[in-house]
Amino acid sequence: MSDHLSPALLNSLADGELTPDQRAAVDKHLAECRSCTSSALFQSLLKSATNKAGQRYNPPAQFLERLALRAGDEIAPSRSAQFRITPWSMRGLAFASFLVAFALLLVIGSMAFVQRSSYRAAIDSSRYAGLVTEACDQHIATLASNLPPQVISSDRHTVKPWFQGKLPFSFNLPENLPDDTKLEGANLTYLGSQPAALLLYSIGKHRVSIFVRQRTSTGIPDGFSREHDGFRVIGFSTGELEAVAVSDVDPIRLSALVGMIEQSQTRASQSTK
Amino acid sequence: MPWKRQARETSSQTSAFEDLALPLLPSLYNVASWLSRNPVDAEDLVQETFLKALRGFATFESGTNFRAWMFRILRNTYLTSRTGLAARSTVALEDELADRNESGLALLPEGAIDRQTPEMSLINLGDRAALQAAMEKLPPPLLEVVLLCDVEELKYREIATVLDIPIGTVMSRIARARAALREELRASNKLSREYSA
Repeated sequence: MSDHLSPALLNSLADGELTPDQRAAVDKHLAECRSCTSSALFQSLLKSATNKAGQRYNPPAQFLERLALRAGDEIAPSRSAQFRITPWSMRGLAFASFLVAFALLLVIGSMAFVQRSSYRAAIDSSRYAGLVTEACDQHIATLASNLPPQVISSDRHTVKPWFQGKLPFSFNLPENLPDDTKLEGANLTYLGSQPAALLLYSIGKHRVSIFVRQRTSTGIPDGFSREHDGFRVIGFSTGELEAVAVSDVDPIRLSALVGMIEQSQTRASQSTK
Repeated sequence: MPWKRQARETSSQTSAFEDLALPLLPSLYNVASWLSRNPVDAEDLVQETFLKALRGFATFESGTNFRAWMFRILRNTYLTSRTGLAARSTVALEDELADRNESGLALLPEGAIDRQTPEMSLINLGDRAALQAAMEKLPPPLLEVVLLCDVEELKYREIATVLDIPIGTVMSRIARARAALREELRASNKLSREYSA
């Protein structure tokens, strides 16, 4: 494959649609061609960004109930048509009607209550999965772009004030950091359509991205930790903030850094009380 | 007793349908909203889809792709809806010409990937609002393929089933849709830079 990869191959690569043979040939080409590697990365990031931007509309809260009611209206006549009344079953007609009505109540009731909770759980799960994917994508894009941070400093008294007037909230940074851990700088970014501070740390030669934003309605549950494409994602919520950290460093070292940042928020909120 | 057996079968069928269909509700509503661009129409579209699927559930072959089946019903319902008919009457599907060679690759736009441009420095993919605005400008045949491929992450084969088109046309539309998104993002980014300068 001496020429550049075709648009069709680049799209199929981003969509995971290549055959094993095609994939091997494409991987070999990408190892040698910087231009195609850049194009492939862009296609992949565009797909990922479209995925997030496309998840735009959520069903209204009462929609499931309305759907259940319409489904109930729909089921009732079809069921009664299915019940063929034979002479021997005439005597049980009243009982049969009662059972049908009871079954309908069960169906509608379960749709309205039981599955509403599973629907909410699915929404939460989908929200956390989206958050993890977006944080990882931004972490990878930051590493790939090779651009310096918007504010370059290892001094928390330089980094924190840089966000004044840029973010509708404030946060605290720990004074002491674990061994071999350094603040490299920060960027202003958006996570889940919300403005966020992207704090860039290094632990040894590993890079760490920590996103801090205002707490959402559901927050991030205690002990939040996920594995995504080889990266560890850890999160926490405080009273008004929530944070997500992404890195490929040893999870224990990442947890230590995240724990210090969480403690610094807690101390700040206690000192203001 | 026959009526007891029938009642049991209908109830278990409804329950099986609910188990399969309800987790798809957010996805179906999202796609319906994008296509109809109106919350009332989107709600009607999803309700109609669920009712049609419930009525036809007996004909659904278990073991086949239920998700693709539901999206196909949604899409067919959309095509016969008021907004779907309006969209169809104003959009020409010129890419159907690509079906001639079955692969659909011959008519991919030239320069679909612009290798000379450092894309990532020109386009801010983190700007979700700009990307949503770019998606809104896509014609329905390209928007639906983007929604199914990038948002719902269906495979090309599944998309071909949902849209009832050859896989080559799916690939062609995806390439055209992404090229259009990229151009739109580049243009909007250029405008915002000029505005801020």
